[in-house]
Amino acid sequence: MALPNPALSQIPDSYKYGWHDAEMKPLHVMKKGLNAQVVEEISRIKHEPEWMTKLRLKAYRHFEARPMPTWGGDLSQIDFQDIYYYVTATDKAVQSWDDVPDYIRRTYDKLGIPEAEKKYLAGVGGQYDSEVVYHNIREDLEKQGVLFVGTDEGLQRYPEIFKEYFGTVIPPNDNKLAALNTAVWSGGSFIYVPKGVHVELPLQAYFRINTENMGQFERTLIIADEGSSVHYVEGCTAPTYSTASLHSAVVEIIVKKGARVRYTTIQNWSANVYNLVTKRSTVEEDGIMEWVDCNLGSKLTMKYPSIYLLGERAHGEVLSIAFAADGQHQDAGGKIIHAAPNTTSLITSKSISQGTGRTSYRGLVKVYPGCKRSKSTVRCDALLLSDEARSDTYPYMEIDEEDVTIGHEATVSKVGSEQLFYLMSRGLSEAEASGMIVNGFIEPIVKELPMEYAVEMNRLIQLSMEGAVG
Amino acid sequence: MTVRSEATRLDLDAILAVSEANREPDWLRELRRAWWQRAEATPWPTGKEEEWRRTSLERLPRDVDLLLDPPRAEIRLDESLAANGVVFADLRDAVHAHPDLVRRALSAPDATTHDAPDAAEHPLQSVGSGEWGPGVTEFDSHDKFWALAHAAWTGGTFLYVPADVAVDDALLARSIVDRGNVAYFPLTLVLAEHGARVTLLDEHRSPDGEPVWFGGVVDIRSGREAYVRYANLQRLGDATWNIGAQRVEVGPSADVTTLNAEIGSAVTKVGLDVRMTGDGGTSRVLGLLAAGDDQHIDINAFQDLAASHVTSDLLYLSALYERARAAFYGVTKVRSYAKQTSSYQECRNLLLSPEAGAEPIPVLEIETNDILRCGHGATAGAIDPVQLFYAQTRGLRPDEAERMIVRGFFEQVVHQIDSEPIKVRVLEALAGRIGTADVIEGVA
Amino acid sequence: MTVERATATSGFATGLRASDVTPGTVQVVEVDGRSLCVGLTEDGEWGAIDNVCTHDGGVLGDGELDGNAVECPRHGGRFDLFTGRVLALPPVRPVRAYATRVEGEDVVVEL
Repeated sequence: MALPNPALSQIPDSYKYGWHDAEMKPLHVMKKGLNAQVVEEISRIKHEPEWMTKLRLKAYRHFEARPMPTWGGDLSQIDFQDIYYYVTATDKAVQSWDDVPDYIRRTYDKLGIPEAEKKYLAGVGGQYDSEVVYHNIREDLEKQGVLFVGTDEGLQRYPEIFKEYFGTVIPPNDNKLAALNTAVWSGGSFIYVPKGVHVELPLQAYFRINTENMGQFERTLIIADEGSSVHYVEGCTAPTYSTASLHSAVVEIIVKKGARVRYTTIQNWSANVYNLVTKRSTVEEDGIMEWVDCNLGSKLTMKYPSIYLLGERAHGEVLSIAFAADGQHQDAGGKIIHAAPNTTSLITSKSISQGTGRTSYRGLVKVYPGCKRSKSTVRCDALLLSDEARSDTYPYMEIDEEDVTIGHEATVSKVGSEQLFYLMSRGLSEAEASGMIVNGFIEPIVKELPMEYAVEMNRLIQLSMEGAVG
Repeated sequence: MTVRSEATRLDLDAILAVSEANREPDWLRELRRAWWQRAEATPWPTGKEEEWRRTSLERLPRDVDLLLDPPRAEIRLDESLAANGVVFADLRDAVHAHPDLVRRALSAPDATTHDAPDAAEHPLQSVGSGEWGPGVTEFDSHDKFWALAHAAWTGGTFLYVPADVAVDDALLARSIVDRGNVAYFPLTLVLAEHGARVTLLDEHRSPDGEPVWFGGVVDIRSGREAYVRYANLQRLGDATWNIGAQRVEVGPSADVTTLNAEIGSAVTKVGLDVRMTGDGGTSRVLGLLAAGDDQHIDINAFQDLAASHVTSDLLYLSALYERARAAFYGVTKVRSYAKQTSSYQECRNLLLSPEAGAEPIPVLEIETNDILRCGHGATAGAIDPVQLFYAQTRGLRPDEAERMIVRGFFEQVVHQIDSEPIKVRVLEALAGRIGTADVIEGVA
Repeated sequence: MTVERATATSGFATGLRASDVTPGTVQVVEVDGRSLCVGLTEDGEWGAIDNVCTHDGGVLGDGELDGNAVECPRHGGRFDLFTGRVLALPPVRPVRAYATRVEGEDVVVEL
């Protein structure tokens, strides 16, 4: 557990990524609002093949036809006509930080990305509003055939593999927001790891919204071929504006036989961002998929990373941390579909609500008939830090096979006054003591994060405590 | 074969005719009329509501006659208790003998018994595989059946226990639907005044083979420090659709345990609504399901912790044979103003056949951090093979071993039944599926 | 123009006239008490699969045909018109496929 850093208590604003970049001079700004012409225009700017234009238009029809979800969080304030669907600062992704426009590079410098890349990443991608502005992967991996490019570049350069998988895990008509993403997607990462290749260090993508009322719709496709492994990390931040932005990503992951993918998210959007994301993976026999999903920021997050265990002995895990401060609603969880025998899964969820914050765990475990000896364990714990905080747990289970072991347990608790009293008697402030308790609570998941993120995570929690306690 | 006449259709005319035939007082006739209007104004569940997604009413036998004159419930009451003011009678008789008490016990459509601060959050429908069903704050969609039964009841059981009167022995009421092709909406009303103590077994049966729409409604109200034990033994016939609703109001420092033993019926869909409205109240909500064939049992439970220092624990156990399917969708809600509450919700399913299925969904909605204890658990799976093996090493055949293990599993609820006669009846009713106690005793 | 060449005697007439069907579409047909999704690809090949999506009960015959992929109108799951295999989630279980051919003007499936 990281000890609190006294220097941090000097920072008045607990969201340190809230600046915006006034110097940005966009190359393309499509005017606000959405219609079929906007969809076509995005496709045209990107010089896409006809099949993609058609797919976008079809997805747009699905988006139009579907009602807005009425469950989960409050989506009534989203005005799809008051959003910029395409804003881009540059026309190509570069491979050297020196070639990134100065003002964007300064943003990434502030976020510490180039530094991190040198130290401990195998590759980095940076997306600024609609387009990927930077992408680089270590040469040795490139030589082994690992592809790590922006998704638009993936479509242009690797059309066959792209077309084979795109939209097969999350079809355009899956839900309203997946349809929206398919219609207007831009950016994201396209990753292919060849058979037997292990990418030892994480690949990282950094998503930044800069423009007010921006909609960011990145689309990520990861294919881990047989026996390969990769760890992908994404981080997200945005300026603090008075009006809302929308982030609606789609992430599709294909884990082939014996492969392993870990996907880690540190979601720290500012508190004016609606974060409505569809993430899903398929896992073939003996494959392993792990979602490590940390949701700290945003106004409302609705996100339930899913794992379809399609082959025997496939294994899936969802590790989820949700932190909701004043006015935030984190509606997060995970779904596991057992569709083959001897498949196993684990969902661990830790959620913390503070002030008027609300966390909801929403999860599904489904076992199809014939999936003998499937095992699943779901463990949800919620911690409530104030008497106005709210926590919900919606664990769905559909079990159609006898020979299984499926269990779900959940607890909701508050920070005990005895615990606080004890720590404060040892000289800690209330905020520090609460921070320590919260950090202890999420520790089982934080220890799964790369070290730098674990430190960052604990720091963010501590900052939030400063803002709210005492 | 009876000729279907206009008078037996489920409509207002038939209901008013029932009222007339029973020479009911004006207020009751008007109450029925008001409930009928409410029922008419309340839409049928569409199947999109979260708690109705797992049971379709498409094949509900709606086109059957209203059962106009069901046999009177088998009821016995000690004279000394009657002398103390205890009333235990068929509801039709109670209406005449104790109109004021019945009037108090019968809910009215215009009365709201508790606040609904979250009405605005009400769920709509869910669509899309990437999407979810809504969270439920209250099971409003059972209101249709609550209203129908209050309009169209033609029999039922009435139990009143005055303040500080203790009924030591369990009271038993048995109601039998004596023919098929009918719709029957019995009401069970229990009013336990402050400090009253009472235990009631409420048993329901209907014939096999012929469709019955059974819409039983149970309304239990307990006053301050009342002690109520209520067991509902559902032994309906194999073609009966049991669409019921139960409401339990737990008063200040009252202690109420309900048990639903679901044994019969083709389809059972019951909404349990446990309202912890008095400070310091305690409730236990117990369930035993033993189902086979193509039985479909779907329970919704709503534990509403709306007062401080209350405790509410739910435990539902299912043993599922053949192609039986059990769904459980329960919500524990802790209101923002309820301090220092304790609650637990537990649903465990033993799958005893490859074709059995379970959907246990225990939901928590917690609006305050001032809680002592809150949690839930759900499991589904086959019998632990190690247990089975162990039992067989003790000389049991595999089928005997299985029954013994199921009985051991049920024991978690059975041991909480503190009335011996009720325990015996429940075990007898379960014996058809899980065998008799001899098996266990033989081993022990 | 047919997929499987089974003997003509075991086929069931769908009641569809081949010339009435637009290439690149599917439709619902009731055959021998079974509900099927029968389609004709742009390439002129006939195929039939069970009509109900294994994910959430969507009516496949009301969906779209894209190449040989039948797309469920509910959530966009895709099945192969000739093999019943899943081509896109959310369904994970295949549907049954039936050999289909044209006899004279009649579209005929093998059940």
